[in-house]
Amino acid sequence: MNLLLDILTTAAILYIVSAGLLLIFGVMKIINFAHGAFLTVGAYASLVAARIGLSPLLGLAFALLVGALIGMLIERVVVRPLYARPLDAILATWGLAIVIGQVVTLVFGREVQMLPSPVNGTFAWPGGEYSAYRLLLVGAAALLGTALALLLTRTRIGLVTRAVIMNEQLARGLGIHAGMVRFCTFAAGAGIGSLAGALITPLSSIDPNMGVPWLVNAFMLVMVSGVSMVSLLVATLVFGAAQVLLSTYVSPVLGGLAIAVLAAVTLRIRPKGFSRD
Amino acid sequence: MFKPQIRILTAALALAVLPLMAAAQGAAPIRIGVPVGLSGANSVVAPSVVQSAELAIEEINAAGGVLGRKLVLEVADDASGAVGAQKAFDSLVFQKKVDVLISMETSAARNAGLPIVARGKVPYIYTSFYEGRSCSPWMYVNAWVPEQQVPPVVDYFMKTKNAKTIFLVGSDYSFGRGMLEFTKKYAEGKGAKIVGEEYLPMDGSDWTAVISKIRAAKPDALITSTAGGAPNVTLTKQLRAAGINIPYGNLAVDEGTAKGMGADAQGIYISASYVTGIDSPANKKFLEALTKKFGADLKTPNDLSVPEYEAVYAYKAAVEKAKSTDSDKVLKALGEVSVDGPRGRISMNQQHHAPLTMYLAQVQADGGVKVIDSFKDVAVGAQCPNLK
Repeated sequence: MNLLLDILTTAAILYIVSAGLLLIFGVMKIINFAHGAFLTVGAYASLVAARIGLSPLLGLAFALLVGALIGMLIERVVVRPLYARPLDAILATWGLAIVIGQVVTLVFGREVQMLPSPVNGTFAWPGGEYSAYRLLLVGAAALLGTALALLLTRTRIGLVTRAVIMNEQLARGLGIHAGMVRFCTFAAGAGIGSLAGALITPLSSIDPNMGVPWLVNAFMLVMVSGVSMVSLLVATLVFGAAQVLLSTYVSPVLGGLAIAVLAAVTLRIRPKGFSRD
Repeated sequence: MFKPQIRILTAALALAVLPLMAAAQGAAPIRIGVPVGLSGANSVVAPSVVQSAELAIEEINAAGGVLGRKLVLEVADDASGAVGAQKAFDSLVFQKKVDVLISMETSAARNAGLPIVARGKVPYIYTSFYEGRSCSPWMYVNAWVPEQQVPPVVDYFMKTKNAKTIFLVGSDYSFGRGMLEFTKKYAEGKGAKIVGEEYLPMDGSDWTAVISKIRAAKPDALITSTAGGAPNVTLTKQLRAAGINIPYGNLAVDEGTAKGMGADAQGIYISASYVTGIDSPANKKFLEALTKKFGADLKTPNDLSVPEYEAVYAYKAAVEKAKSTDSDKVLKALGEVSVDGPRGRISMNQQHHAPLTMYLAQVQADGGVKVIDSFKDVAVGAQCPNLK
């Protein structure tokens, strides 16, 4: 039971952390290496929110907002000129991650910041108990996934976005403002990344480099998921399970490598990864 | 007609007096080199170490210096690692020509610096607790090694908390592994059973599997030795979120970090040679002097910064005993002198290491640290049998 919950909650955390990266990659075909920095920004945003007395839920909204605003700024200034040069975009966003990390260090200092967890202790049922906050994260991941799915399939914005994903030339030809779609997507991706950072803070430390370890796993998951939110879900479940099983039955050190190695192997055997098309 | 002559006379007089004045000011100052991790992993604690050194030097200079000579501080950033340490030691020893090196550093930085210390023939007082067994005729250590820090925690868990099974968790690096290796040997020697030993890479932040293993093993007590900072915080948070409430000894958390962690840290047992709550006149005087000198900028003194303060005094005592800053004489004297500091009377007289009074303390709900027990002058064990 505990093992199943470990797998489920690990997959949920991975999904939350990767969703923003996938959104940006799906629409814009660039890998946003500043995603780890957005996680960090989100964590610090929730810290600031708590210090000025906002409730944890408002803190999440605040993190989303801050991330989205910074995302808008970055899209305008850094990413927009690089759409035709995906490789340079990787370098630029990587540099950006360093800049954001240093700015955070300058403002908040290098040391680890503390933020009390909004939910403490365990959720118990007859015959067992499990960390309450991790269970909450499963709910949060489900909410986030549903919201994104509804947004992409049931709204006009989603339709336009999907048109840009499928065939940008044609979409432009039909009068869709592809630049605007990119702008909104980047802001949304950054906002979701920032939200993810705020969501993981009760399990993570808040320091200027906190996003880095998550970035690697998120990157690998997005690589094997292609552009589909559904395949991301499958990928997080499969790889999350592999990570938990390896950590539990072999060694946590190997478990930490599981996602990166499995992603490489998956892409070698099936270059499309988990995506269907 | 007279005026030029008077001028010449005055000039001659001044020339004659100048060397005399220089002599009155005393010989050249004694230079104390402090290579320390102002950037990198140690950057959190390094400022408190520098403050300790500044206070000690200011106090000694105000009281007339050492052998009539003033002390001067030379700080260099070693970036908390081996490459930075080589640069820092090199510039301090060969360019600044320091008379002694006194500092808290990572083990990697210390190991990189030792050959340079030997080449430059400069005494080196290492003031950081570490995994033990680093030996050099040029180096003395006045902070704890595993033989001194671990037994209080293990003994307390076994005797007072009746722990028969212990689970060990650490970060995968020399300090983490070294501490737990000793803990395992010591606890098993005392009859406890180690029911699990797990490591995560230093930058690991997901303890899910480790925590599941702890739950499955149902140990009576938990002892951890992670890298300071982030891994310490993530492990503690996730343990608390998982509702694990067995006695929890943390070999790698300092008082300041524990305070910052707030409610999550409550109940953690720590073992240290210095806690701010030591009730002695020397410690009170030290804390007052620090507060007076640094005011609002004061970094909380800790188990890494206080040894720095005492080491400067140990060097002073050694130079006065040797009546010279000559390296060989000072090195001989360093093992003989003792210093009365905030941690009590300390002498580095056991194989270049120091017997220390260790404190077992528990983190309270308000973040403060309460001393539960103290162990007087715990011996260092076999550190460097080849050094007297």
